[in-house]
Amino acid sequence: MTQETREKTSSRKSTESAGKIRTVVKRMYQQAQQAKEERRKVAYCMVMCNYEEILAALDIVQVYTENYAGLCAVKRQAEPYMEKARAEGYSDLLCGYAQVGIGFDALRRELGEMPPDAPDGGMPEPDMLLGCSMGCDPRWKWYQALGRYKDAPIYNMDVLMPPSDADIDAIKEHSVRYMAEELRGLIAFLEEQTGAKMDYDRLMAIVRRVEETRWWWREAYELRKAVPCPMSTQDHFVLFVPHHMMLTDPFTLEFYKGLYEELKERVDKKIGVIDDEKYRLLWGMGLPPWHTMSILDYFPKFGAVFAAETAYMIPEPFEIPPDVTDPVEIIALRAFQRNSALQRRGQEADGIPPLAQAHLERIRDYSIDGVVMHITRSCRASTMGQILVRNVIRDHYPQMPVMFMESDIIDLDTYSEAETHSRIDTFMEMVESYKAPAS
Amino acid sequence: MAKVAQGALDRAQELYEHRGLRARELTAQGSKFVGYLCCYTPAEIVTALNMVPYRIQGGVGRPLKHADQYLETIMCPYVRSCFDLAMGGEYDFLSGVVIPHTCDAMHRIYDTWRYYIKPPYSRCITVPHMTHQASFEYFQKELEDFQHSLEHFAGRSASEDDLAGAIALHNRSRALLRELYELRKREPPLISGTEVIRVLVAGMTIPVQEFNDLLRDIIAEVRERKPIPDSKPRLLVAGSEVDDVAMIRLLEDCGASVVMDDVCTGSRSFWVDVDPAKGALPGLAARYLGGITCPCTYRAGKAAERFSYMGDYVRDWGVQGVLLYTIRFCDTYQLDAPEIIEYMESLGLPVLYLEDDYIMPPLAQWKTRIEAFLETIEAKKQE
Ligand code: SF4
Ligand code: SF4
Repeated sequence: MTQETREKTSSRKSTESAGKIRTVVKRMYQQAQQAKEERRKVAYCMVMCNYEEILAALDIVQVYTENYAGLCAVKRQAEPYMEKARAEGYSDLLCGYAQVGIGFDALRRELGEMPPDAPDGGMPEPDMLLGCSMGCDPRWKWYQALGRYKDAPIYNMDVLMPPSDADIDAIKEHSVRYMAEELRGLIAFLEEQTGAKMDYDRLMAIVRRVEETRWWWREAYELRKAVPCPMSTQDHFVLFVPHHMMLTDPFTLEFYKGLYEELKERVDKKIGVIDDEKYRLLWGMGLPPWHTMSILDYFPKFGAVFAAETAYMIPEPFEIPPDVTDPVEIIALRAFQRNSALQRRGQEADGIPPLAQAHLERIRDYSIDGVVMHITRSCRASTMGQILVRNVIRDHYPQMPVMFMESDIIDLDTYSEAETHSRIDTFMEMVESYKAPAS
Repeated sequence: MAKVAQGALDRAQELYEHRGLRARELTAQGSKFVGYLCCYTPAEIVTALNMVPYRIQGGVGRPLKHADQYLETIMCPYVRSCFDLAMGGEYDFLSGVVIPHTCDAMHRIYDTWRYYIKPPYSRCITVPHMTHQASFEYFQKELEDFQHSLEHFAGRSASEDDLAGAIALHNRSRALLRELYELRKREPPLISGTEVIRVLVAGMTIPVQEFNDLLRDIIAEVRERKPIPDSKPRLLVAGSEVDDVAMIRLLEDCGASVVMDDVCTGSRSFWVDVDPAKGALPGLAARYLGGITCPCTYRAGKAAERFSYMGDYVRDWGVQGVLLYTIRFCDTYQLDAPEIIEYMESLGLPVLYLEDDYIMPPLAQWKTRIEAFLETIEAKKQE
């Protein structure tokens, strides 16, 4: 780790909304700790499992372990937990989030108390572990591994990701049925754990609020199509937090409405992230380098702004069908439609693989001039497929520069700032020459 | 009594060494081969349609030529190796490819495989990670859809009888393999671990009926052996894909006997039969989702419960030490590895853990570790 990499993240043109997030996150962990003291049930969770509304309707406090790992990385406090995981026999090639999370819990178990100096006071001890198979294997396998340190009961469930060439209409019925059964299984499990009964009207109301919340976030996000772009990628990588971790909170709905108002005003007044926007970039696959977000500040020097991302995407639009009244059915249907939307559009576009389809759509809609992807050594799910996506982009935009940045979501060992700067320099030269003939 | 055919093991070795040869021969005569990755592919459905299931293998000791241009270096190197060979034309006799979504690497390779290799037939089978009642129902439907798509490709359909016939053939194969594994219980085992790998790999490359005939001859040949008594340390090898003899041969050259395994290409792929009484598709769904003990399927319970089947192997095969072998970047295995080690140690067994990059195993480095490991076992035996 070099001294330079310790620079603070600073985006001068950050939104006010993003500025609020640090306090929100702190409060979130405080509230979770307080809930624990009040003997309310706390669950370890994974983001985007589609169970948020169900947990909220049963008043279960949600603690998102992947994001806690990310927080540890941002604060440069992940190291002791990683070391502990390795001492416990876990490979240093394992998902970085899982290493941090397992290390944290192994350490807590050994100390018999919260590890000292745990960022934001630490995650409260969970009463249950709720994983899912959406996105990657560690997102359920990690909780199975935690069985080594905890006796908290586990409910892992499947969330299907249909293959790229599946006949979406043909598989819909049984896929939705399976998802609904998984959710019902979860409800039965939670009812047993809490002794409470699900109030389905309450669940329905929460589902509706969540859709409204997403609508506002999506509307706000799409304002970034404007030139100059009103919001940075640094902001995106904090603004997803309320959605991913406090989705059902009425605060979150208000928060994204506020974000929309703020961005709308910027667009109307033509206020961009940078003064002289010359190039618009896409942050493609790969989670952000949490430990060194300051690297993103290097791009504006070239007049470049990230106008869109494919990481932490807002779920696809979904209309609640008026004839379906069971909220569980609605959640199941929604999960299926969202997880098959890119496959469907990719098939319509003559067989574009879904991940590549997501990139092509953003390149088109956000007037992108270059793509940056982040090869994260310890996150297979967000890294595998990057080369294919790059190749497909090239098939469609032969000159479009695509840069691979190499580091990790947690671990700094593989990161070299000097090397990254020089790659960015070369990449930006290419972006410049790619754009030149058009301008 | 059936006549003992000489040289059945030699035949297995020949098939092992020239892997695509028989397939090419049969393809030239009009057979259709369908390649697949991972032991969750229900090969019976392929056989029922009169095509030959061919398990795609990687190339240990063969540096990658093409993969770097298409696949990230942090992807399961076994998968990268399979793809590399396919890009080099090694699998051009295949009419199709079936890749089950069992782990992240399998899931992601599917799109790349289709995009570049463009097989005439391709299918990704979604395998649930859970084993709830609903998971089995879903999987059965998934297998039904797979069957229909393959029927469409084959231009004919498989009747319940065709399926039952294929199930019987594959069950027979499994029974014969278990019978062969029984012969490893002897002290000393009648067949070496190295020979077993050759037999297993050979079986992945030929029609099931042919393999059954070969197995019958191999068993007869092996039964005739009269080995000289020895007291070599008896090992269980647990882990991911082992489709090459290099590591097993090294263990045996160092003085061990590999007597049992729990690997994707070994016992895990044939231990449990399809129950014909359940009906074809329900039986297949139950067998593949419920009967295969891969870390990519979630099973509730603590390590002692989850890995108790390995405890049974240890007891029944007189295992004295365990080699745990995982392939780099395999999250599912690596999340289980510390618990497998703990469990085996709780049974009083020394464990050697090797994390490998599959393609170029560091044999010289391993040799030292293996020798030290075998000494530990010997010392334990003296206790
Ligand atoms: S592998 Fe990647 S996506 Fe999966 S849990 Fe780890 S960090 Fe998250
Ligand atoms: S994780 Fe297991 S199933 Fe997946 S490629 Fe590796 S060995 Fe095969």
